[in-house]
Amino acid sequence: MKIGLEVHVQLPTLSKMFCSCPTTDADTPNTHVCPTCLGMPGSRPVMNRKAMEYGIMLAKMLDCRIADTVWFSRKTYFYPDMSKSVQITQYDNPVGSGGVYRLNGNKPIGITRIHLEEDPGKTKRVGDQSSLVDYNRSGIPLAEIVTEPDLSTPAEAREFLKQLIADIRHTIDLPDDGERSIRCDCNISVGKERCEVKNVTGLRNVERALTFEAVRQTKVLKAGGKIERETRRFDEERGVTVSVRKKEFEADYGYIDEPDLGIFRIGELARSISIKESPLGMTVRLVREYGIDEKTAKQMVSTSVDLAKTFEKIVSATGSTQTAVSWTVGAISANWKTFEAAGGDTDGIIDIMKRFGGGGMTDVEAGIELKAYMTGTDIQTVRDSDSGLDEIIDSYLDAHPEMIFEIRKNDKAVNRIIGHVMKETGGRYPSSDIVSSTMKIVNSKI
Amino acid sequence: MNMDVTVASLPRLNEKYSMFSRISDDIGTADFKFLFSAKDNLTSKDMETRCGSRILEGYRPAFDATAIEKMRISGGKLIGKNNMDEFGFGTFSTNSAFGIPRNPFDPERSCGGSSGGSACAAAVIEDHVSLGVSTGGSICCPASFCGVYGLAPTYGRVSRYGLIDYGNSLDKIGLISSDPGRLSEFLPVISGKDRKDPTSCAQPDLNLTGKKIKTVAVPREALEGVSGDVLSAFESSLETLRGMDIDVKMMDMPFLRYAMPAYYILATSEASTNLARYVGMRYGRQDGDLTLKFDDYFTSFRSEYFGDEAKRRILLGTYTRMAGFRDRYYAKALKVRLHIISSYKKVFEDHDAVLTPTMPFVAPRFDDISEMTPVESYSADYLTVPPNLAGMPHLSVPCGYDAEGMPVGMQFVTDHWDEDPLLTFAKDWGCAFETRRAEVLL
Amino acid sequence: MDRETVERVAKTAHLALSEDELDRYSRDLGEILDYFRILDESPEGDGFGVDPVEIADVMREDVPGIFIDPYELLKDMKTYDNYVRGPKLL
Repeated sequence: MKIGLEVHVQLPTLSKMFCSCPTTDADTPNTHVCPTCLGMPGSRPVMNRKAMEYGIMLAKMLDCRIADTVWFSRKTYFYPDMSKSVQITQYDNPVGSGGVYRLNGNKPIGITRIHLEEDPGKTKRVGDQSSLVDYNRSGIPLAEIVTEPDLSTPAEAREFLKQLIADIRHTIDLPDDGERSIRCDCNISVGKERCEVKNVTGLRNVERALTFEAVRQTKVLKAGGKIERETRRFDEERGVTVSVRKKEFEADYGYIDEPDLGIFRIGELARSISIKESPLGMTVRLVREYGIDEKTAKQMVSTSVDLAKTFEKIVSATGSTQTAVSWTVGAISANWKTFEAAGGDTDGIIDIMKRFGGGGMTDVEAGIELKAYMTGTDIQTVRDSDSGLDEIIDSYLDAHPEMIFEIRKNDKAVNRIIGHVMKETGGRYPSSDIVSSTMKIVNSKI
Repeated sequence: MNMDVTVASLPRLNEKYSMFSRISDDIGTADFKFLFSAKDNLTSKDMETRCGSRILEGYRPAFDATAIEKMRISGGKLIGKNNMDEFGFGTFSTNSAFGIPRNPFDPERSCGGSSGGSACAAAVIEDHVSLGVSTGGSICCPASFCGVYGLAPTYGRVSRYGLIDYGNSLDKIGLISSDPGRLSEFLPVISGKDRKDPTSCAQPDLNLTGKKIKTVAVPREALEGVSGDVLSAFESSLETLRGMDIDVKMMDMPFLRYAMPAYYILATSEASTNLARYVGMRYGRQDGDLTLKFDDYFTSFRSEYFGDEAKRRILLGTYTRMAGFRDRYYAKALKVRLHIISSYKKVFEDHDAVLTPTMPFVAPRFDDISEMTPVESYSADYLTVPPNLAGMPHLSVPCGYDAEGMPVGMQFVTDHWDEDPLLTFAKDWGCAFETRRAEVLL
Repeated sequence: MDRETVERVAKTAHLALSEDELDRYSRDLGEILDYFRILDESPEGDGFGVDPVEIADVMREDVPGIFIDPYELLKDMKTYDNYVRGPKLL
């Protein structure tokens, strides 16, 4: 089975791609519109610099070759939501091409290209069969990411998309308002010919649509039938794909250059743009650079990229990866949410760890100070509430020495200790404290 | 003449010459310094803009084209929108849905096109300047046929914001007037960078320093196929030029012959995408049955309201950019254009301008036009197309009259952004050559 | 150009042609394409052909704004509840 995706990402610019209309949601249809996005005769497009920059950032994230000179093309097709009957997109010369994106840091998924284009408006049907169109969305900048058909199962496609979306959000600071702003065309072939399921939104639906298609195509082939190359639509309610129209041949689009925008020599601009490390890239690097296992790296990065950065600072402050790991996944992780919500400064954490690393304080003292600092409580209160917790954990482990071996094999076994301590202490300690103390003690023993 | 008198005479003039598709309802002139008209493919807030097409009937733009806005700001009153070939598709202004402009020298003949109404207004109305638009020669051709001066500046010199597109990589807004001084007066007004049109933002400043043309190259190829009347007027003009201390050299310019096909491919490819937006929604005519399936609804509108030549060019342009044909036609034409531009530039290393007759014949009679095949009428543009394709500025000046008194024009082409010597020449020529005014009988 | 090609092109361009038009346009377009043949022998130039003069890197800053009243733009459109009315979808 071969699966390739075309992922459309709405770029978080404040104004549209070729006009200054706002990109925010409007209460009333056709109020964020102007002659350009309505395609009125006499209007003209002007390129939004920020959209170009976002395109370059994503091309970099996907490890694409970035063209030195790019320009836009006109793709002609007729539909009521396309105000000019022409979509300004990129054809011969996309922003990026020939990239690779690693699924879970391992399996390479080829990135054919990434290009910029404008979103069409939105249509809806009305009772008398005619349609209503809202052009507020018309002209919102999109990046389209096209993958090679390197994905082998619907579940893998979902996994890929989840990771890709997380990385995109991080790279271009895409607000996390659900998955609505990301749409996907899914190409899938079980045999030779492929079908395209257009415009699927949401991770779960991508997997459902692909699974349905895989089963459908297999059935057709088994019955001796032929898969016809076509465009299909996913019916979310019924969970099925339905044929929309025979695949339009590329000829219909009749691409030509867009003279109104001129050309863009983006080489220099691209060199001047550096992107934040993606969560996945960071995970891979942490494993490589610090020799920690992938699970730990992933756990830190998925809690927060800043937490993982703090880990790195602790390593350099204490000179010990082992110390840094056990404190980061232990007490620091346990208090991270509170700390982050309060907008805390990680320098204080590094400071405590530095003193601990220099032998200036015990495990218990360091734990208390960290908690006090990160939660903004005074040390005495923490000390009072904490006393006894470590002893309870210690005595349980003394009584069950096999636990340490079990945890080495399966780190979920740690939940048994946590469960026991919770039961025994009967709500005296907040669960985050129990988790953090247990993790800290366990990590010091394994 | 008093501006009020001019404005009052417009309805009667238009009845006779059909140079306007709309005349301003507002007859007051007190607040204005001068009158101007504009081709009807430039959007105007106060007047319907239809581009000579039924499909745009009812389009009342919410914004002025930058060129019109700039003319208004300098004190101009827009008296009317000039009649034109539908979307600029034609050489004779016979492809308009709203009447055919008549030549001021002989109403049985064409004004040329596609800015026929603009040239006619410039010839007929006293002290007038009109805005024309040229894609393949649509300013120089009617200027020549109507015996007036026409300037199509460098591509990008005048903002195209508000221009209803024919071919976006070719379209240029320019000026037509019977007074050559008007060209130098108004080019600085309408040119300049405009944030609303990126293609206007690459231009160097327009400096009119009175630079003169000293050497011109006349391509031998250009004189093949030119009618006897035109040739003799042209040759006697060459003598006048020599008398003005301009060095005239004959040259071979084999690259010119590739301009016509390259032009028609690029122009129609672009046009067919520009015209895709006219589907009976949003603007212009929208009076169809919305319960039809969208493909059928769009098709019925386009089939009913586009004229014959528009359909022909849409078909041609759709074909030349289709996958399978695109490389042979569209992509090839782009590369040929680059060859033509660099060949022109080589000529300009040793010559200030390239000079040819503007049109191979004088304004033809309407009966003769109706007998022409498309290829014959396209071929009439073979002298104006090359500079337009290359984005070079070109100027047509009247240079003689045939036995029946019909005007002949000649065309100067200079390098990109080099409008200065064209404008200087136009003024000098205005002194050296005696222009005849058409007799306007009402 | 043969009639089948003209029909296919017309369909792509959303034009319905009468029998008479089909005949006429296939003859006209055939003649025009013949006339284009000369292009095959033309030398080619180097560079980007997007525009006849180079227009590079013209961009605007990402600042939102509305400069023409949207209701003014909609005044001549067929609308319903401020939606633009269109024909039947697929």
